[in-house]
Amino acid sequence: MNEITEVIISGLSSGSAYAMMAVGMSLVYGVSKVFNFAYGSFYTMGGYLAWIFLGGLLGSSIGYPATFAIVITALFFIGMGTEKFAIRPLRARRDWEMLAVMSTLGLALCLDNLYLALFGPFRKSIPPLFEGSVHIAGTTVAMQNVAIAAIALSVIAGLWFFLNRTKQGLAVQAVAQDMTGAQIVGIDKDKVFAYTFALACVLVGFGGMLLAPKYLVSHLAGWNVLVKAWVITAFGGMGSVTGAVYAAFILGMVEAFVGWQLGLTWTLLVLFAILIGIFIVRPQGLRGTWG
Amino acid sequence: MNIARTKIPRDLLILLGIYGGFAILPAFLSGNPAMMGILIMVMIWAVVAGHWDLIMGYAGVFTFGNVAIFVIGAYASGILTINYGISPWLGLLAGGVIAAGVGILISLPCLRLKGAYIALLTFALHMILEPFLKGGVGKAIGTGGALGLLNIPPLSIGGYTFSSLNLVPWFYVTLGISLASLFIIYKIIHSHWGLAFLAVRDSEPLAKSAGIDDYRYKVIVFGVTSFFTGLAGALYAHYIGVLSTRVLGLDLFLLLMVMQVVGGMGRFPGALLGAIIVTFADEGLRAAGVYRLVIFGAMVVAIVVLVPQGIMGAILREKGEGRGPRAPKLKLPPMVRSTRSGKKAGRRENRLEVTYEHS
Repeated sequence: MNEITEVIISGLSSGSAYAMMAVGMSLVYGVSKVFNFAYGSFYTMGGYLAWIFLGGLLGSSIGYPATFAIVITALFFIGMGTEKFAIRPLRARRDWEMLAVMSTLGLALCLDNLYLALFGPFRKSIPPLFEGSVHIAGTTVAMQNVAIAAIALSVIAGLWFFLNRTKQGLAVQAVAQDMTGAQIVGIDKDKVFAYTFALACVLVGFGGMLLAPKYLVSHLAGWNVLVKAWVITAFGGMGSVTGAVYAAFILGMVEAFVGWQLGLTWTLLVLFAILIGIFIVRPQGLRGTWG
Repeated sequence: MNIARTKIPRDLLILLGIYGGFAILPAFLSGNPAMMGILIMVMIWAVVAGHWDLIMGYAGVFTFGNVAIFVIGAYASGILTINYGISPWLGLLAGGVIAAGVGILISLPCLRLKGAYIALLTFALHMILEPFLKGGVGKAIGTGGALGLLNIPPLSIGGYTFSSLNLVPWFYVTLGISLASLFIIYKIIHSHWGLAFLAVRDSEPLAKSAGIDDYRYKVIVFGVTSFFTGLAGALYAHYIGVLSTRVLGLDLFLLLMVMQVVGGMGRFPGALLGAIIVTFADEGLRAAGVYRLVIFGAMVVAIVVLVPQGIMGAILREKGEGRGPRAPKLKLPPMVRSTRSGKKAGRRENRLEVTYEHS
C-alpha cells in the first residue's frame, strides 16, 4: 500500500513538472504553428544557468530567489531573440513551417554542443531547493518533490491567470483563434508570437532549473524532455493548454507505474505505444482539433 | 527556361556532369586514400540525403526516420553476412529490402497524420532504435549490443576481395550504386507522381478534388526511399567494416539535414551538391574540434534564414519570396479523365481533364 502511495506521489510530482513544460510547447504551437525543436535545449539552458548562479562556476552561490529572477529574465530575452532572428524571417515563405523546424533543429544542435564545449561532458549537480522530507498519507516524501509539484502547479495557475485575465493573455488567445480577426482589432501578431515563444522558453527553462537538483544537468538531457513534451502535447491535442495539463498528469502517472512495475527503460517505449494507440483512435488528441 | 525544348533537362545534366567528373577523379587521386575516402562518403551521403529530400522536399512527408532506416539497412546486411554467411552482394540487397519493409510499415500509420505528428512518430523510431539495438532483443538477433558489429566482410568479386588498401574498386561500386539511386529520384520527380506531389503540396483540397490519390504514391515512395537508404546503409557497413549505434548520433542526422538545406530542399539534385559541400566542409572543420557541431548548427540556422532556397534555388535563378520548389514544365497525359456516358454522350462530351502545370 505504501509503495503505491509513493508511486502515485512520484507520478503527481513529475506530472506537474511535465505539465508546466508541455503547456509552453502546446501554447506556441497553438498560437503560431511553430514546432520548436530547440525546446529541450532551453530546458538544459535553464539547468546550466542555475548551475552557474548557484555557485558552479564562481564557487559562491547567490541563492535561489536571485537565481530564479536572473534566469527567468535571461530566458525570456533569449527566447525573444530566437523568435526574432531564427523564426520570424521565415514566416513570409510558403513552406515556413518546415523551415522553422530546420532552423530550430540547427539551433538545438548548436546550443547542445556549445554546452558541451563550454561546460564539458560531466554532469553538473546543484544544491537542492529544499532539504528534508514530509510525511504524506503514511509515506515519507522528499520535500524537494513536494516543492517541485507546488511550484509547477502555481506556475500553471499563473499562466491560466495570464491567459484569461490579462490583456496580453487575451491577445494570445485571440491570435490563436483567428489571426486575421485579431489583426483587424489591432493586435500586433508579431509581438504576440514573440512573447508566447519567449514565455514557452521561460516555462521549459524554469522546469530545467527545478528538476536540476533531482536529475543533474547534462548537455544531452534536453532531447528526452523534448520528446516527452512532444508526446504530451500530441496526446493532449496540439495547441490545447488544458489538454496538455491532463495529458501530462496521465502520462506522469503511467510513467511512474511502468517504472515501478517494469523498470525505467520501458517508460519511453510505453509512452510511444500509448501515443500510437492515441493516433489510431483519436488522432487529434484529447482536446485538440485538426488544422 | 523551357525544359521541354532542350534535349537533356538541366537537373539531369548537372547530375550526370557531377558523376562523370567523379568517374575520372581516381586517375588523379588514386594515390591519395584520404581524398578517395571522402569521395566515397560523399556518394553514400548523396544517396541518403537525396532520398530524404525526395520524401520530404517533394512528397512533403515530414519524416525524421531516414537515419534510422539507414542504420536498419546497415545492421540487417551486417548481421546476415556475419551470422548467416550470405554473400555481401546479397546482403546489400537484403539490407535494402528489409529497410523498405520497415519503411512501408512505418509509412502506413504515419501518412494518416499531419506535418509535425509525422515528424514526431518517425523521430520516435530514431530515438528507440538505439536502446533496441543495444538491448536484449537486439542482442538476440545479433546486433552485438553496445559493442556493435566488428567484422563485417567486405565485398568481393570472383577471387578478388575489396580492401581498404585499394579504394578504387570501392569507389566505382559506390559510384554505380549512388548514380543509380539518384537517377531513380530523377525518374520519380519527372513522372506523373512528381507532379501529383507538387499538386498536393501546392493545394491539397484542389489536388484531392481532382482525384489525386497521393496516399498510395506516398506509401510507394516511402518504400523506394527506404530501399535505397537501406542499401546505402548496407554499403556503408561493408565499406567501413564495423558498425555501432554511434551512427544514430544526432551529428549525422544534422549533417544530412544540412546537406539538403545547403543544396536546396525539393530542388533536385540539390542534395547531391549539398553532400559534396557539407562532407568536405565537415572534414575541413575537424580542426575546430568540439566547436565543429556548434558551427554547423549555427550554419543551418543562418542558411535557413538567409538562403532557404539553397544552391539549387540560386542556380535555377529563383526570385522572390514564398516560391516553393519548381516543377518541371512537361506536357503530360492528364491524370484524371472522366467521361460522362449516357444519352448526351454522343452530342456533347462532358469531359474533365486535369493537367497540372506549375509556372
